[in-house]
Amino acid sequence: MAIFGLWVINKAGGLVYQRTFADGLAQLTSNEYLILAGTLHGIHAITSRLSPIPGQCSGAQVIEGETFKLNVLLTLTGTKFVLLTSPAEPTAAIDTLLQKIYTAYSEKVMQNPFHTPEMPIRSEAFDMSLTALVH
Amino acid sequence: MTIYSLYIFDRRIRHCICVYYHDWHRTRRPKSAVEGGILPAVSTAVFAPAADANSSALSGYASPRNTLSSASGIVVAVNEMNSQSTASPLLQAPPSPIAVSSTGLAFDEEVKLVYGVVLSLRNMIKKLSGRYEIVDLSENLPERYKIYRDEQFVNYRTSAYKLHLFETLSGYKFVMLSDPGIESMRLVLRQIYVGPFLEYVVRNPLISMDSKEHGIDNEYFRTSVDRMVRGLSFYL
Repeated sequence: MAIFGLWVINKAGGLVYQRTFADGLAQLTSNEYLILAGTLHGIHAITSRLSPIPGQCSGAQVIEGETFKLNVLLTLTGTKFVLLTSPAEPTAAIDTLLQKIYTAYSEKVMQNPFHTPEMPIRSEAFDMSLTALVH
Repeated sequence: MTIYSLYIFDRRIRHCICVYYHDWHRTRRPKSAVEGGILPAVSTAVFAPAADANSSALSGYASPRNTLSSASGIVVAVNEMNSQSTASPLLQAPPSPIAVSSTGLAFDEEVKLVYGVVLSLRNMIKKLSGRYEIVDLSENLPERYKIYRDEQFVNYRTSAYKLHLFETLSGYKFVMLSDPGIESMRLVLRQIYVGPFLEYVVRNPLISMDSKEHGIDNEYFRTSVDRMVRGLSFYL
């Protein structure tokens, strides 16, 4: 049971929020995180085109490594929330948590009149509600 | 629960070289590859039918390999385009696809997308994990003999399918698309590698492993992979 970190990626593929909650993964520079987020944005778009069956297909929702996984929530507005957790974490619990994080985001970030959309998030209120949600 | 397709990629990382393709319950197929977009002997299912008659007439005399397919009807070597027409006793009848639709992509483009996704995710997972450990700690071994091991990308899931990766130590990448409900296919992919792949590809003297001209498709390999996948409990 470990939640390693959270990324928020805007609809253009830019990383607007990155936070580490627990150790266990590599410590990267903010520049490296930006590159990874951009890559993930592109991969996400491709994965929805590779579907072997007809019908709607979402992009990648869970990406698994051996010791951790990335859980992606794509909102209707194109913002992506990426939660890095340990692989044993149950999917249902993560989905609820991601929904709660999305709620916190809309309350503490989007409703803030001083926040510019699609720009990096610097909000103490958002930080605090995330801390409350994750711990 | 079902299996959709299997891709095998060559060990050369910088180039996207698909050496084998097989599909099962796939109802949305790519268009045929453009000529020259993909190696011959990867899969008979996705070749451009154009110029087939022409090339088979030519290669029937030109290719020394063709002697293999004449008498027995079993091609142990490279499966050329023209062997599609020869009835093979080993292969089961291909699954009759029901209402196959197209992805709108040509096969060679699809292969590039699959490879791109797999390679990017693999590098991303490696970078994120920060794990890089030496497995064999024999101290007196020279540096180049030590085995390093880092985090592997295992799979990703979308609402419609799940993609699994198994990479061998030599760098061959086995990629399988399955139903999103299936937990892990790594063992199955490993079995394909340990069983049919080693037996009918690596130990097959008629296949050159790093060929730039041919894939690794041959009848024995295709049949045993097919049998193995059809025998899986979640193949329905």
